[in-house]
Amino acid sequence: MSLRSSVAAGVGHLSYSVLHGIFNRGSSLPGLVALKLDPDILYHYKDRYDFVIVGGTNGKTTATALAVQTLKQKYPDVLYNPTGSNMKRGIATIFVTAPKPKKKGLAVLEVDEANIVRIVKYFKPKAFVLTNLFRDQLDRYSELYATWDRMLEGVRMAPKATIIANADDPIFNSVDLPNPRIWYGFNDQPMGDLEAPSNTDGVVCPKCHHIIHYGFITYGGLGAYFCPNCGHKRPKLDYEVTTVERMTSADSVVKFDGNEFKIPVGGAYNIYNALAAYSLARFMGVNSSSIKNAFVESPEIFGRQEKVQIGDKEMVIIMVKNQIGVDTVLDMIKTDKEPFSFAFLLTALPADGEDTSWIWDCNFETLKGHNIPYYLVGAANYKDAATRFKFGGFKGVNVEPDPAKLIDRIKEIPTKRMYVVTCYTAMRQLRKALAEQKLIDGGME
Amino acid sequence: MAKYQLQLAHLYGNLLNTYGDLGNIMALKYYGQLLDTDVQSRVVSVEDEFSADDYDLIVLGAGQKFEQSIAREDIDSKRDELHRYIEGGKPMLAVGEGYQLLGQSYINQRNEKVAGDKLLSHRSELPTDGEPVQGELVIKSLLGTNMHGHENHDLVTFLGNGEKALGTVIEGVGNNRDDDTEGAVYKNTFCTNMHTVLDRNGELAKKMLLVALANKYPDADLTVQQNVKIESPY
Repeated sequence: MSLRSSVAAGVGHLSYSVLHGIFNRGSSLPGLVALKLDPDILYHYKDRYDFVIVGGTNGKTTATALAVQTLKQKYPDVLYNPTGSNMKRGIATIFVTAPKPKKKGLAVLEVDEANIVRIVKYFKPKAFVLTNLFRDQLDRYSELYATWDRMLEGVRMAPKATIIANADDPIFNSVDLPNPRIWYGFNDQPMGDLEAPSNTDGVVCPKCHHIIHYGFITYGGLGAYFCPNCGHKRPKLDYEVTTVERMTSADSVVKFDGNEFKIPVGGAYNIYNALAAYSLARFMGVNSSSIKNAFVESPEIFGRQEKVQIGDKEMVIIMVKNQIGVDTVLDMIKTDKEPFSFAFLLTALPADGEDTSWIWDCNFETLKGHNIPYYLVGAANYKDAATRFKFGGFKGVNVEPDPAKLIDRIKEIPTKRMYVVTCYTAMRQLRKALAEQKLIDGGME
Repeated sequence: MAKYQLQLAHLYGNLLNTYGDLGNIMALKYYGQLLDTDVQSRVVSVEDEFSADDYDLIVLGAGQKFEQSIAREDIDSKRDELHRYIEGGKPMLAVGEGYQLLGQSYINQRNEKVAGDKLLSHRSELPTDGEPVQGELVIKSLLGTNMHGHENHDLVTFLGNGEKALGTVIEGVGNNRDDDTEGAVYKNTFCTNMHTVLDRNGELAKKMLLVALANKYPDADLTVQQNVKIESPY
């Protein structure tokens, strides 16, 4: 390491200890400081670690944390970016603040789609893990194919890296690449002939632009796709879900390649996250039973859901950031066999996405067949949310503009449990209030 | 069952499907009930037959540029019938990329200028400063009401011969940064940059429904329908 970058790394380390001590939120500042001193500091870590880059719209954080848990069985030094800080300075932070590995370490990095190219510039990963691509915040920059093109720019700089990708997402098989490929997906259902619902993203065959069909659909536009026009189809799976034995709002029991795994939270999307981690771990030489243990040992890794006891009521907070996120959460909570209450909190600050038109594409109406005696919509954009539910035919929906007041409002629900499906800003507001009332530990992350 | 029945074509509803246009259709169905009218919606997409006589309402929504380019490849095959529909004074809502498709030209995802379907006279271009437009938009509409919505578009549009603006911009950008217009109206085709426009602006939904009812049921007495008051849904 050159003197300049040693100094930069040292200063980064210092600023982290200082800031961490004083403010307890030094998330990406040390990296920022180190990058100011040496913009190419990442270059100096390229030989100390093997690298894996995890990219995609949803599930990056969970899949990364889970993969790390499994890979710790094999690598004594595994670094990752645990706070979801997936930009360059967040990544610089974890290197400058980590102790020097005794032998070659492993870094598993969750990287924002547009930043892959900026990171791959410094080191060539052994593998990319690609989870899925959905429309996220509805700014024009993040159109699906534009995002994919930006990811590809990074992937093309590392033609030897193995691409471990979700085979059920048609977009990952839309271009030929020189890289070795490993595909994971679901293979637990009989094949029929289906089309995705008309409001699904990317329903078009990436090769011939006809509407794509599916043998089965797991959620959104993910599944065993095939094109009736040109014959393009899902590639052969290397790692697969062979059976879903149980799927509830609390957990799933599945078989990967015939071996049983317990996944300690609900939701098909968490099965995908677990399968992504499993595929990477298998690729890196971790055996199946070690992976099994890793899943059960760390339930807190899964998902952004949090359970809070408020008197005799339980609040389950689940953060969402887009339409597909809402729909997967709805699918999960519908497996709850007890009656429950449902709240949807809508905010539209830049961190949430300012265009709220996505709420009209969510399948809230599928809640109607379930025993949900109490609905509430709220937060700053409650008017749009209330209109959404009104036009959707829901009657008697409660309204609460202030997320903090949910702590009182939950006392009026006729069920034991309330699911609060919330955008980022409203979640911060609610968690702040919960922390002030000592219902959860402080800390904003 | 309601007294009146209307058929709605959700044109390219499985392609131009990103910006909540199901919300526009839900609004038409909701206000339809207030007007004693059932609205049946069907997606009409690539390679589907489209006849102007089969439909009383059209929604052509907003979406991503890739999907817009696929709709563009197909829409010529429906052009004659769409022309007949529009010139016949039947009501259509076109939003964002759908609005662009109907015009003379627009810019595709490779920044190339391509011909629109030339059913209407406007054209869409890259803004001279390159800045996409996003934010809240308020206009004084030609219905006499103020309309509110969220605009989110990377092209700016200039109206052509025979088109009126849907309204004058009070707050936000609208069609472009030069002339204070927002949207386009030709006969009963309503174009706008506002996503889910009908959800916040029931007056426009009512207008489209009344036109559709008058077209389909020329002898009906629609006084009750005309007198229905549109209140803010929330």
